[in-house]
Amino acid sequence: MNTTFLIHTFWLSISGIPLTILITGAALLLGLPLGFGLAWIKIRKIKVLYPLAVAYTSLIRATPMVLLILLFYSTLPSFLNVIINKHFHLGIKVFDINPVIYAIIVFALIAIANLSEVFRSAILTIDPGQKEAALMVGLSPTQIYRRIIIPQALVSAIPNIGNLTLNILKGTSLAFMMAVPEITAVAKTAASYTYNYTEAYIDIFVIYFILGAILQVIFKFLERYLGRHKLKRTA
Amino acid sequence: MLTVKNFKKKYHQHEVLKGIDMTIEKGDVVALLGPSGSGKTTFLRGLAFLTPGDSGNIIFDDQKIDIQSATANDIKQLRQKMGFVFQNFNLFANKTALQNVEEGLVIGHKIPKAEAKQIAQEALKKVGLLEFSDHFPSQLSGGQAQRVGIARAAALNPEIILLDEPTSALDPELVADVLQVIKQLADEGKTMIVVTHEMAFARDVADKVVFMDRGLVVEQNEPAEFFDHPKSPRLKEFLSRISAASVANNSFEYEKSSVN
Ligand SMILES: Nc1ncnc2c1ncn2[C@@H]1O[C@H](COP(=O)(O)OP(=O)(O)OP(=O)(O)O)[C@@H](O)[C@H]1O
Ligand SMILES: [Mg+2]
Repeated sequence: MNTTFLIHTFWLSISGIPLTILITGAALLLGLPLGFGLAWIKIRKIKVLYPLAVAYTSLIRATPMVLLILLFYSTLPSFLNVIINKHFHLGIKVFDINPVIYAIIVFALIAIANLSEVFRSAILTIDPGQKEAALMVGLSPTQIYRRIIIPQALVSAIPNIGNLTLNILKGTSLAFMMAVPEITAVAKTAASYTYNYTEAYIDIFVIYFILGAILQVIFKFLERYLGRHKLKRTA
Repeated sequence: MLTVKNFKKKYHQHEVLKGIDMTIEKGDVVALLGPSGSGKTTFLRGLAFLTPGDSGNIIFDDQKIDIQSATANDIKQLRQKMGFVFQNFNLFANKTALQNVEEGLVIGHKIPKAEAKQIAQEALKKVGLLEFSDHFPSQLSGGQAQRVGIARAAALNPEIILLDEPTSALDPELVADVLQVIKQLADEGKTMIVVTHEMAFARDVADKVVFMDRGLVVEQNEPAEFFDHPKSPRLKEFLSRISAASVANNSFEYEKSSVN
């Protein structure tokens, strides 16, 4: 075991953390509202959009993350190039676009599909009786969603949102395949010079472990904080 | 004040309400009785358009509604005159007792926050739960939750309150407090329709008792006549099935316990 390398690479890999967080965070930020919109379409069974939403969700959820990334990274740039430059002659250098953007898009697509299911089931667990009670005291359907249903659905969705975030965080380790210099990529690159792969993998493991633990603490806190009303009777 | 004409409702091929007629005068407390499945809930929910009826007319003061052609606006206007108390309370789980009452005042009826708070506190005080203002529904007993439900409906000062078996989800020892609160509303002159299986309560508090069976109003009368001299065979059978003892002995039990 090369301890010097282990420690050196550890600090080196830490420089990949911001990108990992950026990709995870951006995917989540895009995924939350869009996933909610998709859930809405599925719950309301909105014409035309509904079958598309269902098809999209099952397609994304059924496909391994690695495959999505490979497919996306190898095909999308060429595809975009055809559309943007051959058809519209905009002259944008598609192949020069930062791969981080592609990574964010892939993980956002994954987040949207999964979060839409998380939101859908969370909303459906809220007893429709509360909606009726709200109608009777004069709330509009939008007000009911905003003030009664969504706050409760969010609380019951938090653990699942946490799981998904954790999965995306771990999934971003695959972004090295897109030449994104996130944690895994940095460590692997360092190892490739000296073949100290074991040390590099240990470093990666430790960093993900710490990030994952922090994430779990954050979501536990959120769950507790947002779920104050669920506190059981004290007396 | 409220007249319902020929109210009909089908579920699939099953005709649950076969043409209900009912008139309610201002200040009346109407107790709605009937065997399970006779359509009491369907009727009450139909009045509030929670599950709209198929046909018939609802005339509420100067508002005339043809159920078949009711618009969203008609329904909204009608609901403004109604309060609804649900069998399983349906309190907003993410709001405290006080917020549950305030919600309709502030958001539904656009009453300024400070004023709404005062009204809400007053309403909670009336049902004996002022000190539970900050409790969430999960921290209330069934009886307390239902009293909040009643306060929530009554605080808006609706012209009529519809109550669907307000005590049947409660443990027996919690029923009395809730009935007491309803009686108090009756004493204040509130107009109400109460679906109930509490015969003693119906007898004591109602101005009129209506018996429904198989989707029809079979008999209605003032309480003493209704219980002591039932006319139709179906009502006689219904009353005899409910143990005579419970009618005789249970009466006024809810008055023994006092709220506040
Ligand atoms: N959503 C529904 N779909 C199909 N049938 C229904 C539905 N709701 C009620 N029914 C039927 O309508 C009939 C009347 O039901 P309702 O709930 O109005 O009776 P009820 O008088 O309130 O009975 P209970 O005393 O048990 O509450 C029943 O036969 C019931 O099975
Ligand atoms: Mg019922």
